[in-house]
Amino acid sequence: MKKPKNALKNPFRRGFIAILGNEKYQGFTIPLFAIILSLLAASLLLLSLGKNPLIAFRSLLQGSGLLPKASYAAKKNILTDFMSMLNILTPMIFAALAVAVALKAGLFNIGISGQMLVPGFIASITVGYSKLPAAAALPLVLIIGIMGGAAVGSLIGWLKHRFNINEVVSSIMLNYIFSYIISYFINTNYIDAVSRQSRYISANTRLTLANIELFGLKMDIPLGFILAVPAAFLVKFLMDKTRVGYELKVVGLNKKAAQYAGINVGKNIVMAMAISGALAGLAGVTYYLGNFNSIQPRVLSSLGFDSIAVCLLGNSHPIGILFSSLLITVISKGSNYMSSTINVPQEISQLITGLILLFSACGAYIKHRVSLAKDEIRDEKLRLKQENEEGDRV
Amino acid sequence: MNDYIVEMRHITKRFPGIVANDDVSISIKKGEIYAILGENGAGKSTLMSMLFGMYEPDEGEIFIRGKRESISSPAYAAKLNIGMVHQHFKLVQNYTITENIILGMEPKSRFLGFLPSVDVKGTNKKIAELSKRYGLEVDPKKKIEEIGVSTQQRVEILKMLYREAEILIFDEPTAVLTPQEIEFLLEIIRELRNSGKTIILITHKLEEIKKVADRCAILCRGKLVDVLDVKTTSTKTMANLMVGREINFRTEKTEANFGEKVLSVSGLDVRNDDGVSVVKDVSFDIKAGEIFAVAGVSGNGQEELADAIAGLIKSSGSISLKGADISEMTVRERSEMGISYIPQDRQEVGLVLDFSLGENLALKDYYKEPFCKNGILHHKAFLIHGQKLIDEYDIRSGQGAKTQVRSMSGGNQQKAIVAREIISDSALMIFVQPTRGLDIGAIENIHRQILSERDKGKAILLISLELEEIISLADTIGVMYSGEMQTIAAAGSLTSNQVGEFMMGVRSV
Repeated sequence: MKKPKNALKNPFRRGFIAILGNEKYQGFTIPLFAIILSLLAASLLLLSLGKNPLIAFRSLLQGSGLLPKASYAAKKNILTDFMSMLNILTPMIFAALAVAVALKAGLFNIGISGQMLVPGFIASITVGYSKLPAAAALPLVLIIGIMGGAAVGSLIGWLKHRFNINEVVSSIMLNYIFSYIISYFINTNYIDAVSRQSRYISANTRLTLANIELFGLKMDIPLGFILAVPAAFLVKFLMDKTRVGYELKVVGLNKKAAQYAGINVGKNIVMAMAISGALAGLAGVTYYLGNFNSIQPRVLSSLGFDSIAVCLLGNSHPIGILFSSLLITVISKGSNYMSSTINVPQEISQLITGLILLFSACGAYIKHRVSLAKDEIRDEKLRLKQENEEGDRV
Repeated sequence: MNDYIVEMRHITKRFPGIVANDDVSISIKKGEIYAILGENGAGKSTLMSMLFGMYEPDEGEIFIRGKRESISSPAYAAKLNIGMVHQHFKLVQNYTITENIILGMEPKSRFLGFLPSVDVKGTNKKIAELSKRYGLEVDPKKKIEEIGVSTQQRVEILKMLYREAEILIFDEPTAVLTPQEIEFLLEIIRELRNSGKTIILITHKLEEIKKVADRCAILCRGKLVDVLDVKTTSTKTMANLMVGREINFRTEKTEANFGEKVLSVSGLDVRNDDGVSVVKDVSFDIKAGEIFAVAGVSGNGQEELADAIAGLIKSSGSISLKGADISEMTVRERSEMGISYIPQDRQEVGLVLDFSLGENLALKDYYKEPFCKNGILHHKAFLIHGQKLIDEYDIRSGQGAKTQVRSMSGGNQQKAIVAREIISDSALMIFVQPTRGLDIGAIENIHRQILSERDKGKAILLISLELEEIISLADTIGVMYSGEMQTIAAAGSLTSNQVGEFMMGVRSV
């Protein structure tokens, strides 16, 4: 027998459920709750190390250019920190959007890293090592990013449609295949003897204007960011307002109904992966030809994997993703500064990022618990009401 | 005290919009094979689920071995030595037979004298003995994924026996078996009875009951019709009782007025995913203004027939609509040619439950104007169209066209599908089980709409498991049994008993 719970007794719990239980705002309140939980957990961690969590969190914000630091080096200030945070935020937004599009069509695109690497490499060796002027090079880099990513994505979609190969398996395997093939070419043809990475691309072809002198400051200006925010709105428009989005969603929600409605399921699986891949490709070129200017052989970007959690933290909603990308980037970017101000190893800040991602993955569980508690409270109210009525009769 | 091992008194169980069991009382003696017979949806499984603790009755009492029990969970049922073999087996695929059987009550032993571990070796032996004793030979070390369906069923039976069940419930045990396997299973059931077990057999197959059962309770639309002694009753009597002699409501139906041939199917063959032939050489025509109703017990190829005509599954043979061959066309091409389809599974196939009502009402037209221009959707058009259908077809929903379909009742979901399919004004309308799970009011509503479409000159293919529905609506009746069209005849020329016999495969032309 279950112990009878007195759900009504605890006003704290009731208020809590009332806030989180409103389904209209759950897309927003539940991730927020997850973040608060993770910050609490991180605080415990920091306290156990004898550090003040508030100072730690403040230095995260300072490191990423959201709060002013106590002192700056020459030609640096809060704006330069902020710009360099945007520089890494840009590929993160594209990558998380890529995950979201695939997810809407019921596909789990875990191969973002591979879809970033392929166009990143192609753009580097074709445009990056050329002498093209910026006006010609930059559009070309973006086009290669879109086309290259879409090609890899649609290959994965086609494998699923044609041979029923699970997209998770094929995209992971393709990640390795591309990584090793590209490493081979970098090592044989494009290696820089000193850095052991691919040779730097020419500054004209880089999507980030590096070390620009502006207002007496020296900063990086990520041009790709100008596209990243509109991209989120474009994805939202695509999913909500277009025929393509409607079909992708039907396929994602109910394949049988899609088939019944005359929607070509296979075509839409390929299409979803192509769009997802194109966004991943944009992440790739803003990463390898923006944030960085060379490719490290045999390394898959961890950003491609983090983007999955970022997407989930943003509830797979394009606008939510803008915020979740910002949060995760702020933490990872600010971690350098945090480790120096409070004197903890940088791994600790990675641990905090990890905690946030871990708790964000629990969103569905939190939602489940909230709805259980809601039912409990309702049942309890009903029982009390019935008891009262019976009492009246007696 | 009496000698009944199970007594269910005045059991009533309601689900939203439907009474699944209405004042049903049955008493089962120890050591008998008691069959529960009824059509699909007659309430057989619900009744037994209550005995097994999956539901609790709204009204009525259950007595086990003369003692009143409130069976709140399957675990409690197991404590009362009640076991159930479900229609869909509940086995862990990559565990061995032994591991599956002991799952949940693993015998513990001490490995190396102190490490707790599961005594698989000892149990393997025990299960081998158990299986020999009841003639249920299995190899306990084999994994479930390596063995066939009939062996899996044996594992389920052994699972009950291992838990020392005395009352064994079989839910449609023969549905998945071949004729030889059925023979074997029935032999096992007899064997179990002889060793003192009480058997409850849920089925709609008369021959099986005739072969093994001692007594038989017949359920029809949730009510207990009769309890019969199987030896002294003919299969025909049982079939008549099961189908229900009286028809409660007659739908007003005007004289049929046939027009030109709309659908022509000839030599249609369908194989399922396993390559088994499920529709065999079926041919028929439907004219404008005709309701062609296909009767048959569930799983005799009717659903596949409908899917094949709509283009959802591959078939061979020819299908033509208004004189044009459509057998090679896609689903969308066929639908644009003039086929409407109300599928059997409205939630899995006919609707996207997480979409709004408005979006669902345009599920087949979303790509056309006014919903979509140059690839851009116009949400207003969805809302206007949705509201129009909501008003016209009286679809009840919380927030109009914006309501999420998942939150709507089954009857209103069905109304939405029917509305969507009717307004597309197709020459052929396929209705599969259009009233399944609906209450009387909703059923009548759907029936009226089917008839009014017929009177508008549509050709209608109606596939139903409810014989009554077929008899009251059909102009022409076809009966399917094991994938073949047994007979095609004008509705007036067949009595419901005759149709029932064709459905059971006990009558041939």
